Formats: sequence, C-alpha cells, structure tokens
Amino acid sequence: MAGLTLREVAKSYGDTDVITNLDLDIQDGEFVVFVGPSGCGKSTLLRMIAGLEEITGGTIAIGNKVVNDIAPAKRGVAMVFQTYALYPHMTVYKNMAFGLKQAKTPADEIDRRVKAAAETLEITPLLERTPRALSGGQRQRVAIGRAIVREPEVFLFDEPLSNLDAALRVQTRIEIARLHKRLGTTMIYVTHDQVEAMTLADKIIVLRDGNIEQVGSPIELYEKPQNMFVAQFIGSPKMNFFKAEELNDKGQSYLKGEADIIGIRPEHLKLAGKTDALITATPDLIENLGEIALVHCKTASSMEFIAKTTDLSAFPVGKEVKLTANTSVLNFFNSTSQQAV
Amino acid sequence: MSNRTLPRLLQTPAVVLLLMWMLVPLSMTLFFSFIRYVLNNLRRPEWTSPDIANWRGFGNYEYVLYQAKDFWFAVQNSLFIVGSVIFLTVVFGLAIAVLVNRTFPGRGIVRVLFISPFFVMPAVNAVLWINMILDPVLGLNGLAIEGINNTISTLQNLPGIGSFFALWPEIEPLSFRATQTSAYAVIIMVTWQWTPFAALIFMTSLQSEDQQQKEAAILDGAGVWAQFMHLTLPHLARPIAIVVMIQAIFHLSLYAEIEIVSRGNGNKNLPYLIGEFASNNIGAASATGIMAVILANIVAIFLLRIIGKSLMD
Repeated sequence: MAGLTLREVAKSYGDTDVITNLDLDIQDGEFVVFVGPSGCGKSTLLRMIAGLEEITGGTIAIGNKVVNDIAPAKRGVAMVFQTYALYPHMTVYKNMAFGLKQAKTPADEIDRRVKAAAETLEITPLLERTPRALSGGQRQRVAIGRAIVREPEVFLFDEPLSNLDAALRVQTRIEIARLHKRLGTTMIYVTHDQVEAMTLADKIIVLRDGNIEQVGSPIELYEKPQNMFVAQFIGSPKMNFFKAEELNDKGQSYLKGEADIIGIRPEHLKLAGKTDALITATPDLIENLGEIALVHCKTASSMEFIAKTTDLSAFPVGKEVKLTANTSVLNFFNSTSQQAV
Repeated sequence: MSNRTLPRLLQTPAVVLLLMWMLVPLSMTLFFSFIRYVLNNLRRPEWTSPDIANWRGFGNYEYVLYQAKDFWFAVQNSLFIVGSVIFLTVVFGLAIAVLVNRTFPGRGIVRVLFISPFFVMPAVNAVLWINMILDPVLGLNGLAIEGINNTISTLQNLPGIGSFFALWPEIEPLSFRATQTSAYAVIIMVTWQWTPFAALIFMTSLQSEDQQQKEAAILDGAGVWAQFMHLTLPHLARPIAIVVMIQAIFHLSLYAEIEIVSRGNGNKNLPYLIGEFASNNIGAASATGIMAVILANIVAIFLLRIIGKSLMD
C-alpha cells in the first residue's frame, strides 16, 4: 500500500512536449481517475508511472521511494491494459501465474494466490482455458486477476472498459468499484468516459495538453469547475455558456466584476416565473429519451444550447420561452482567462 | 442444383488439365518401374523400348533396394540435408528477424541486402560458394587459412614468445569437395540461400506481434529472453510451421548444388540418384522415383501431424 508523489514530471518526444512540470499527490488507498480528451497525455502519464515510458524530467515516487530508475516490475505496480494484453498461448491460470513465476515465487504460493484471485473474480471454471476461448468480459476479469495476484501497491487501469459493450461496461465498472472497496489499494484509472470518472473516483484529475486543469472530488468538479474547459468536460450534455448579450436584464445583473459569462448546466434550466427569467429562447428540437428529454433551444442571436427536462409540455417547439436557474447552481467565468470567477 | 452445375462445368477444364498434369507422368513412372527399360543395351535391344512384354514385376525395386548400393545412403543423406537446412534456417532466420525488427538507421538497406541471397539461382549459388568461398586454395577459406598460417609463422620467428607459438601446428584448410564434407558444403550454401526466406516470413509476423502483451510481460518482470520464449516464439509457431513445410518440400529435390559441389561423390540424395540411374536404367530410375514419392509423402504426413495443429488453430 502506498501513495504516489509526482514532482515536476515532464515528458517530451524530441521537441514535442507531452507533459510539462506536472505536480500531483495521490494518497494511499485513493481511487484516482485521469480524465481528459484524447491526446491530453493521460495514458502517457499512466505509462510513466508504470515505467513503460521514460521520464524526461522530475521525479515519481511510489510510497516514499523515487522510482525513476527502477524497473517496471519492481515498482510494485500492476497494470490492466485496454486490449487486456493476455498472453494468447497460455491458459488463464498460466497468464495469472506468469508474473509470480518470473519473480521466482514458490509454486504452492503461486497456486494459492491464483486460486484466491480466481475465486474473487469468479473465474475459477475458466482457469484451464486459453484467452481465445473467453468472451470480452471474461478476458477483462482475467486481466484484472493477473494484476491482483501480484498484490501490487498501486493498480493502474488504462481505459479498461473501452473494449466492452455498454451493458458489460456498467457491470464491470461496479465490480472495479467493489474491488477497490475490498482491497483498499491505491488505484489509478485512465478514461475518457466521464461517467466512469464520476462513478469510480475519489479524486478526478482533469488533464488537457499535458497540464492538470483541475483536481477534485467528482462533486467538486461538477458543482465548482475551476475553468470553462472542466465545466464543459464534466457533465453530459455539457454546460451551457451564456454571454451578456444572450441574457436579459436580470441575467446581466448577475455579471459582476471579472465575470462576463454565466455557465448553467442543462439539468438546471427550468421555466421562469414572472420575475426571475434569465434567458429568452425558442425550443427548436426535442430529443426524448423517455425518463428525460433534451430540448435544443436557440436564443434571439441564434446561439444554441440544451435544456434537460422531465416536463416536455413546458417547452413547445417554436414558441418563445423564458428560462431560469437557481442562483446557487450558477457558475461564473471570465471569457478571456477562461477561469471561474 | 442448376446454379452449382455451371460453376462446376466451368471448372472442369482446369481440373482435368491438372489431373492429367499429375496423373500422366505418375502412371508412366509407375509403368516404367515395373518393366525392364534401359536406354542402351547392345545384347538385349528389345529392352531399349518401353513394352509390357519386358515386364519385370518388382525386379527394379529389388535391384534398387538390395543391389544398388547407394539407395539407403541417398535416403539418409536426403533427410540429413533437409533436416539440417531446416534447423539452421529457422535458427538464423529467427535471429535475423528479431535483430532487424527494431528501428535503426539504414534499416531499409539492410533489409534489401540480407534478402538478396534468395534471388541468386541455385546453380550460381553453388558455383560461387564452392569456388570463391569454400575452395581450399583460391577461395576465402584457403586465403583465410593461409593468412592465419602466415601470421603464426611470423609469430614463431619472434624472440621470446616465438617458442610458445612454435608449439602451434600449421592449419590445413578443409576441402569441401571431399567425400566426407561435400554434404556440409551443400548444407552451408542452401542455408545461406534460404535463411532470408525464413527471416522474411518471421519478420512480417513479428510486425503483427501485440506490443501491449510485451508491456504486460515487462510489468510482470519478464526479461528479454523470457519475452522471446513465452511470447515471440509461440507467436511465431505458425510461420515456423510454414517455413519448415515449404523447405521440406523444396529441399527434398535439391539437385544443382549436389551436382556442382561433388557430382554426387559422397553426397547423393534421391533426386540425384534418380538422375544417375536415368543416364541408362530408366526402370531403376522410375522405381527410385516412386520410392521418393512415398518418402516425400511420409515426410509430409509426419510434418502435417506435428505442424498441422499449429496451422489449424
């Protein structure tokens, strides 16, 4: 069991900087999710922690030990890959035992650990099969099992669910959450799926272009995004931004000091009463998802935004409506700095 | 039914042609192997034309198996040459493929260079090797040994340490045309020519190797050798099977190299023996040919048993 400390970590390929001066603390036992758009460096960062990518600058410490020059296998980390990366010519049992065998663990110890992990993941009947004979979900479990048997101090997951179908993804996600609860081991999880990030994480780290945009609990990121990027990245559909010219007088009165943009999440938009209207808009398309409906609206200056509602009758298509939101859920931003105010 | 008749009908000419292609020579060989048929015999001129009246039963086979001394030697030698060439090409091919499978400056040129032996004609290959490299006087072999001997004799004349080198013998260059060594010469030159083929097939296969599996193995603490043994080699099982099968088929019919190295002296295989018989005794040549077909089939069945599994998976 160990936390991680990253200090001024940098990575560049030739002249291209992928990650620059990144500082990060991960507590022992935390479930941390790296999230960000593709190319933001989240996988690279994970691979640097694993030791699969060299670090160009700074230090990475696992526990209290700087691991910059320590071989990947000796860092006390285990990784679950996106493609599972199971050894195709070995049975499930041998796949799970491979790492222990390389570490010259006694045979009865290997057997005990593999069987225990198989028990936990309910893959005991599969132990003698080869990966080829397994379904995607089963392969995923074996990949996790292979990580568990090594009893690492830190688990690394590199988009482990992206090759699974939707139903299986939800199920496996819950299993990973349970696993973390039971093992209590530090886990670092890379994903571009914000639902995975929101549901699994103790702490989310939003990355963009190799920089940390915000670190915080899922709710913090949802309620108090520190900048417009995070505001739009977390939440689905993404947060709507209203500039002064889109707002009516009441709305504009909220803009004070630096703030020149109001961010309102689609789920917070509702029909206004007589006095509290912030925006005037016309619904022009409705996507009805059953439990909720997404109402695509246009303001007078034809800026498009989305409102999420359970009450469709309040949004007649083509007719002007007045919308508002509780003041407690409004987010304010500055358009030049892109930061929250 | 009717929509399958037309395609069948259209295939028929090709199938018939291929069948004739195979069956006509085979049945002629079978026929010749059971009759007395020689090209030149002044005492019995009736044997010089293939005729059912010259029926000999299994006489030709008996002659080849028990009287002609070279048959079993040729079988043994065929298998020795094929086996050695396959083993060496697979080992060298693997080594080269793994070495070239990384990025380094000039990789393209290196690849073209090392593939080039495969484009040399077998006869040219044999002439080059036996005259320019393996020749004990004029070849690289002779020149190198001469150089070593000269160096040693210079060292022997030095004061002090000269007495130590005086104990060294003069090295004799090996002649690869000799009875005992001509098979090795053939193995060396065929290995040189076919290693690129093996390496080429292994190389293409190495490019499809899953890099994440290797990374997983690195995290599992596997060293380079363990990765090679547990991941790369199993991954290459199928291409190795292909290389072994194709080479087994090709090298059972080696001829040019054997002819050029020693004219069969101390080094015959079945095709060469057939060639020798065929200079006069067509009956014996045909009987040997039929036995060669049987041998090839045994080898093929044997290989399919061992290797077929990895191909079917």
